[in-house]
Amino acid sequence: MSRARAGQERRAAGREGRPTKVDTKMFYAKLGFENIKKNSQTYIPYLLTCMGTVMMYYIIQSLAGNESLSAIQGGETIKTMLGLGTWIIGIFAVIFLFYTNSFLIKRRKKEFGLYNILGMEKRHLGMVVLWESLYAYLASMLAGLASGVLFSELVFLLAERVLRLKTHLQFEIIPGAMGKACVLFGVIFLVNLLNTLRQIHLSNPSELLRGGNVGEKEPKTRWLLALLGAATLGAGYYMAAVIEDPVEAMAFFFVAVVLVIIGTYCLFTAGSIVILKLMRRSKRFYYKANHFISVSGMMYRMKQNAAGLASICVLSTGVLIIISTTICMYLGTEASIRVRYPRNIYVEVQDREEGTTEKIKAMVEEVLAPYGAKEVDPLEYRYIYWMGRQKENRFSAFGDGSNGDSCVVQFLTLEDYNRLAGREETLEKDQVLLYTEKGKTEGTTLWLGENSYRIKERLADFPLPEEGLGSMVKSYYLVIPEKDTVKELGAGLGYWSGEEEPTDFWTYWYSFDLELTDEQQIEIWEQLSGKFSASALGEYGSVRGAAEARSSFYALNGGLLFLGIFLGFLFLMGTVLIIYYKQISEGYDDRERYQIMRKVGMSRREVKSSIRSQVLTVFYMPLLAAGCHIVFAFNMIRRILYMMGLFDTGFFALCTAGTLLIFAAFYCLVYGRTAKAYYKIIS
Amino acid sequence: MAILEVHNLKKIYVTRFGGNQVEALKNVSFSVEEGEYVAIMGESGSGKTTLLNILAALDKPTSGEVLLNGENITGIKEKEISAFRRNNLGFVFQDFNLLDTFSLKDNIFLPLVLSGKSYEEMERRLSPIAGKLGIRDILAKYPYEVSGGQKQRAAVARALITNPRLVLADEPTGALDSRATEGLLRVFGEINRDGQTILMVTHSVRAASHAKRVLFIKDGEVFHQIYRASMTEDEMYQKIADTLTVLATGGERDE
Ligand SMILES: Nc1ncnc2c1ncn2[C@@H]1O[C@H](COP(=O)(O)OP(=O)(O)O)[C@@H](O)[C@H]1O
Ligand SMILES: [Mg+2]
Repeated sequence: MSRARAGQERRAAGREGRPTKVDTKMFYAKLGFENIKKNSQTYIPYLLTCMGTVMMYYIIQSLAGNESLSAIQGGETIKTMLGLGTWIIGIFAVIFLFYTNSFLIKRRKKEFGLYNILGMEKRHLGMVVLWESLYAYLASMLAGLASGVLFSELVFLLAERVLRLKTHLQFEIIPGAMGKACVLFGVIFLVNLLNTLRQIHLSNPSELLRGGNVGEKEPKTRWLLALLGAATLGAGYYMAAVIEDPVEAMAFFFVAVVLVIIGTYCLFTAGSIVILKLMRRSKRFYYKANHFISVSGMMYRMKQNAAGLASICVLSTGVLIIISTTICMYLGTEASIRVRYPRNIYVEVQDREEGTTEKIKAMVEEVLAPYGAKEVDPLEYRYIYWMGRQKENRFSAFGDGSNGDSCVVQFLTLEDYNRLAGREETLEKDQVLLYTEKGKTEGTTLWLGENSYRIKERLADFPLPEEGLGSMVKSYYLVIPEKDTVKELGAGLGYWSGEEEPTDFWTYWYSFDLELTDEQQIEIWEQLSGKFSASALGEYGSVRGAAEARSSFYALNGGLLFLGIFLGFLFLMGTVLIIYYKQISEGYDDRERYQIMRKVGMSRREVKSSIRSQVLTVFYMPLLAAGCHIVFAFNMIRRILYMMGLFDTGFFALCTAGTLLIFAAFYCLVYGRTAKAYYKIIS
Repeated sequence: MAILEVHNLKKIYVTRFGGNQVEALKNVSFSVEEGEYVAIMGESGSGKTTLLNILAALDKPTSGEVLLNGENITGIKEKEISAFRRNNLGFVFQDFNLLDTFSLKDNIFLPLVLSGKSYEEMERRLSPIAGKLGIRDILAKYPYEVSGGQKQRAAVARALITNPRLVLADEPTGALDSRATEGLLRVFGEINRDGQTILMVTHSVRAASHAKRVLFIKDGEVFHQIYRASMTEDEMYQKIADTLTVLATGGERDE
């Protein structure tokens, strides 16, 4: 017997000897602690992750429960969103910690087997594991909650800036949030403990001893799964790439996400094996020194790691999409406001009587006078908004028995159009100009009820600000010769807007920018709004101001960004941990093969470079796939952002590229760091 | 002529944390002629594996030299050593050392693939060897699908396929049951009759009795050797057993 073995057994015998004496409980408690210390290479990252998750969970809970937030305008929106965030983080924590714990068990099977053979019963092993869980739970709760309290102040500061809150968020320690965290993570640790106990219970010692490497069977070729993967991924990509309509994009986004996730898992697990087997089938290709080693090595690696790699890929894609979209939305808040409010202040009122225009302008003058301010860049026109049905070139009222798609037509007079567009177009009595925002008409004639009009020109653009909201229905602008043209239309198109009273009144729109601070603008809006409501016009319209809406825009977009950063951080933590664990387990598996290859006649350099290239492939594959997903998702997300009033594709591209770049750099950094652990193991 | 000459080999292991030194080989000298079948015997820990690793250029001696075909292998550059090993030496190990990622056939091909041989050439070389070793039907299987004896025969095929000058075997029967051991030793005998030089390290008397010459190592030195000459296997067995008894009882001349 070798000296080392003898020592081991003597020590083990010592351990066995002690419990029969006095302090059995203390013995297990101590052994549990030693185990954590001994397995620190895998245990510490696990504990850090638990701690980090607890910390984030507490912070978001305490933010959601913060009293001072309720008092703020838009605070409820933020609270709802944070509430949602606590759920997402909770669910993520469950899945993620369960996954990591299974990894830990797998690595430790050998150790359990050894204890078992040295005479420790499963019951005793269970006690040791129980103690370990208890320590891990206490450590991660204490450290997690402490750092949660510490960092929540910092996060509050961040939240104030991101959400543009004017008031200071009160720092408070929220026992409720702590309680929830204790319960949630208590349950998670309990589930993990039960899983560990089940694993110990199910196995027999010799199996436990063999541990990780039982039957390194060659992976099966699962053509069907590979094809399914290719099909779902293709379908998801196709859907994302060709979709044009923002509403459809929104509706199908999650379908596409699910398809791509399924595709990713199938292709990583089955697809990779199929490809490798095809490579192996070609003898000329396969029996070349470098291909020979890598193809078989990769096959083995993919069998071991495919699911983990697919998870890294999906998580990374999630991080990238969440961060790039929320950043884009947040930085584009002003643009969205501008779409919703084309000017700082606007008045919209039915033009029921002579002199409406003058009255409104007078009110504005009066309110602005004390500020010494002038309307900047005013925009003024009249329009009629009509909803009905469209079938080919025929527009008709709802409820007159005709069928067709819903549509919206906005009428403008030639006079307003010429003024806005700076043109000098003329129209005969039966001529119109058509601008199609969404929809399709063909030919040169339009039927509006019973009247037909000739389309003089299909306009390529229209001098009004874009509406932004991806409308569900078809929508057109129609420039008609004069105001009274609608009178003859009214009969054929039915009542405007389907109301009881014929409302063929024009709506007057008057808007302007102000070179004043937000506070002043809000004051002006309040005064103007007050005057307007008090007047006879008040009943038929409203005054709106962008400055007043800004805080709620920032509450929403800032809240999303905040959640995005939070989730992104969490996913990132997950990614890092999975990469780290993969490196370690790869390292242990590779060590043996590395030594065999050396003996069979590969030089140290050859082995190193072969292993290196395989490891690189394995670890950069998820990043590449994630990048590919992002490229295909781009079109779809861009369309969804249209609905938020973000039309600047270039800007979104910049946000995405920036996020991708930073993420890739971070990924490489993590890889580099963890690769050190790997090379330490194999050499 | 001597295919292998070993002069005054000495190997001292220095443990990682300094201090402790283990003298695994003290002063080993012997030579092996072309076509010989030599067994090296010694107790566990007597330095057999150490010796073999040095012969295989997997490890460097502290002092002394190893001449293969008159060329000093301790002087070969690190870069060329792998190619040298592939072209001149074949290995059979106690624990087979087959890669679980390859089928048996691919395991056997491994050294040839590394040398850049064509697939046709590899097939041509494999065919007679597989026939001789009786593994033709299991070539497509994976190591975990076959028995220990079959694994070891695949490992022998891998060692032979490069037409090495010298086959080195470290306890090749150590992990085999008696039936598989018999089979493997018969195979070794056959390939030796075909002209293959074999150097086998073992502590099994049964295994050693198949060899034409047996060297005994004790305390890092060659202690004694027996030539088979015209002895039968059983006589050889008896002689080896006697020698080991002497070694164990009266053989403490060094202490
Ligand atoms: N890498 C090493 N480092 C330190 N000591 C070693 C090493 N390898 C072997 N030894 C020691 O050298 C001696 C001979 O070992 P070995 O050659 O393996 O013997 P055998 O194969 O005959 O059983 C033993 O005492 C062993 O402990
Ligand atoms: Mg040995």
